[in-house]
Amino acid sequence: MPLLKIDEVTKVYEGKVTHRALNQLSFEVEKGEFLAVMGPSGSGKTTLLNLISTIDSLTAGEILIDGINPHRLDKNELALFRRRKLGFIFQDFNLLQMLTVEENLVLPLTLDYVPVNDMATRVLELAKRLDLTPILHKRPNEISGGEAQRTAIGRALIHKPAIILADEPTGNLDSKASKDVLDLLSRVSANEGATIVMVTHDPIAASYCDRVLFIKDGEFFNEIYGDERRQTFYQRILNVLSLLGGNVNDLSATRLP
Amino acid sequence: MTFRQLAYHNVFRNRRSYAAFFLASVVSVMVFFVYSMFIFHPLFEEDGLQVLAVRGMFIAEVVLYIFTLFFLFYSMSAFLQARSKEFGILMHLGMTKKQLNKLIFFETMILGSVSTVAGIAFGFAFSKFFFMIGREIMELESLPLYVSWQPFALTIGAFASLFIIISVISVAFIRTKGILDLLQGYWKVDEITNASRWLSFLGFLLLGISYVLASVVTDETVYTMVLIIPPLATLGTYLFFTHSVHSLLNFYKRRKGVYWHKTRLVSLAEASVKLKDSAQMFFIVTIVSTVAFLTVGTLASFMSYTGDYRESNPLGLVYISFDGNSKELQHIEGLTAELEEKELAYDLVPLVVKRQTSTFTGNDVDIIRMSEFNRLAAALGFEPAYPDRGEALFIPYSKESLKELGKSQVQTELMESGVELSIDQVYPHILFPVHTVNFNSIVVNDLDYAAIDEPLQGYADGESTFTYYAFDIPSWEETVAIGSDLTAQIERAVEQEDFSGLNFFFENPGEDYRWFKSSFAILLFIGVMVAAVFLLAAGSFIYFKLYTGLERDRKQYLLLVRLGMTEKELGRIVNRQLIPQFFLPWVVALLHSTFAFISLQVVWDEFAELSILGEMILVLTGFTIAQVLYFYLIRWRYIAHLQAS
Repeated sequence: MPLLKIDEVTKVYEGKVTHRALNQLSFEVEKGEFLAVMGPSGSGKTTLLNLISTIDSLTAGEILIDGINPHRLDKNELALFRRRKLGFIFQDFNLLQMLTVEENLVLPLTLDYVPVNDMATRVLELAKRLDLTPILHKRPNEISGGEAQRTAIGRALIHKPAIILADEPTGNLDSKASKDVLDLLSRVSANEGATIVMVTHDPIAASYCDRVLFIKDGEFFNEIYGDERRQTFYQRILNVLSLLGGNVNDLSATRLP
Repeated sequence: MTFRQLAYHNVFRNRRSYAAFFLASVVSVMVFFVYSMFIFHPLFEEDGLQVLAVRGMFIAEVVLYIFTLFFLFYSMSAFLQARSKEFGILMHLGMTKKQLNKLIFFETMILGSVSTVAGIAFGFAFSKFFFMIGREIMELESLPLYVSWQPFALTIGAFASLFIIISVISVAFIRTKGILDLLQGYWKVDEITNASRWLSFLGFLLLGISYVLASVVTDETVYTMVLIIPPLATLGTYLFFTHSVHSLLNFYKRRKGVYWHKTRLVSLAEASVKLKDSAQMFFIVTIVSTVAFLTVGTLASFMSYTGDYRESNPLGLVYISFDGNSKELQHIEGLTAELEEKELAYDLVPLVVKRQTSTFTGNDVDIIRMSEFNRLAAALGFEPAYPDRGEALFIPYSKESLKELGKSQVQTELMESGVELSIDQVYPHILFPVHTVNFNSIVVNDLDYAAIDEPLQGYADGESTFTYYAFDIPSWEETVAIGSDLTAQIERAVEQEDFSGLNFFFENPGEDYRWFKSSFAILLFIGVMVAAVFLLAAGSFIYFKLYTGLERDRKQYLLLVRLGMTEKELGRIVNRQLIPQFFLPWVVALLHSTFAFISLQVVWDEFAELSILGEMILVLTGFTIAQVLYFYLIRWRYIAHLQAS
């Protein structure tokens, strides 16, 4: 059984101009899979992520996460669902500025009455794995972008969610920090079986994934699976992107490996 | 879009953030205008009460002006700081500093003119209402609404000058930092909450000392304390908000068992950021609220003085005729005629008072005969006194003297007549107002009284004896204007400092009471309006701070929702964040005022024995209810704004 099942999902924004952001999109994500969703601007990537995040409502279709349809839950259950089942990574990190790195990491746990000792051991263990130990007591404005994103990844991992949703996680990082973050994500996926759905513009980022799903104008366009060599996978992604007719800007040509 | 239109749009589309100052400015203009309407009223005469009202209102206007200046000054600078990102964009697009200054000048003038016009409009609309209150308080026949250019000119002139000053000064607040700094905006370096341990301790210490000092103030030390306590408490308050609070929070935060628990992690961290960021604001709000509480509380306590008045002035009218007063009968007949004309019931008791020297103290003693004294006591409904031969009772002149005289026992001899007396009792009621009676006054048996046959040393026969006409009037408050010609004669003598030819003394406690009561009511009326402006301003500081932080808070709210906070938990966080902002300065101000009232009570005890506890509780409760309502209003708006995204 797939961990995430998107079935004929349609999202229409009503308003002065009705806009169909997603149109009968279907795909599945297996447990432990690292999936990238790519597409040009306005293709519906962010809408898709918001729908999976349960913070936006569906017009038609069904989403199943771990066998649960979150759009059937009431507000309270939904909050608890997000708290326990989902982990989030954002482009601009979204760390709480008034909390230290350590406190940002434990935030999802404190909400859930986890005993303090338990939290402390989990934080230390996680910090060691993510190489955050030296900066645990710093504040978000005192650390680099790469460190901030690693902290955010830690926050998304600490409560062992069913699925991690990442929105352009490397969008604000330089190439070295991007590489660290992507290595980390693929390691987490490979070694710990974490399921990750990442929305990205960046073909390099996508080349770290197991599979890349392309959407265009809210509809399924193509999908390709990764292979042994990242370089060739990267080339194949570029080939699809050129077919997709996205903007040249989207290709971030300066970052060819 | 012209340049002026840009300024106009900035104000009108930012109206939500301008709302709080706008409201405070409008009310301030309105109150100012109402005072001006009173001051320039054509029917006001050079009469005591009205002069008091005009002077009080003039002072209140000056206070309002200065306060509004500071309030707008602070709010504008904070507001401009909050908009630094917007200014960064404008300068990025090529706006010169000069143009920026012009923009801000226009904006301030728009805000100023709109609030002045609105304030005057409301003021004029409500002035009839305020005139009605004023008429009641000052007991005037009528106080009609009038139209004159003067109040308008004064208000417009005052506030035009005020807003010009503000707009010129506030421009200086956009420090010409780099455009990049401006673009990065306001919430950049707000997250560090360091607090000096030493200063935190000092804050607590200073507050503690001032509270202790305030509670042990005595009559003797009160004047020094008035100079010492306020600066101590002010400094203590400042340190409390800038350091002590944070030390406490940091202490709390170090205990992970307490801190890493549910919403506490977010709400505590958030509270400490907000408290740090707004420490100065909290300090200002606390001081302003304390001043407002004290103003109204003090004035309200004056009102309770009037409540005590009757007890120390049980007589309706007092006329004392000294030796050589040829008009004695004429005056008394005049007074009784006036009383009858007004259809007031009265009981007139003449007391013939003899004066002798006491061998015990060497002072003069006024002696009243038992039978006359008992007639007066009966008229007032008090029990009679029966001193035996050779005995006497002290007559108390105030509540305090009642206690003291009760303890003293005196064996004395009236020097001139050789009458021996033992005085070991005090009459348990106050019969005579304090300044109409000698501090050494006694009641003696009629036989002893008759035995006093010599005049006071150095006086001829009959010269040291006077007649005290005590009028008991049950409806004593209605005696206004009775004996006004006698009062006028006394006033004239006081003015010319010539008391020869003045062989009598007259007092009308009822009229004095009315006067006291009305003047305190006027002061209270003036004070409450000023305090209302103060409190509104304090509230708008808080509203404003919340509003400028709204963008950031909304972003945070969104993140927390994604991370899976339930609405209930968010509500809890919002509460924990708002409650300290609203009630911490409040609680500190309440504490300050409570201790200030404790000292005030001591001062009051010296003038008049009365308790201001009741008034104090009333005032503080009233303000607290207003604040709670304001809290719910703001909370409702704040949550609505947060969820609007």
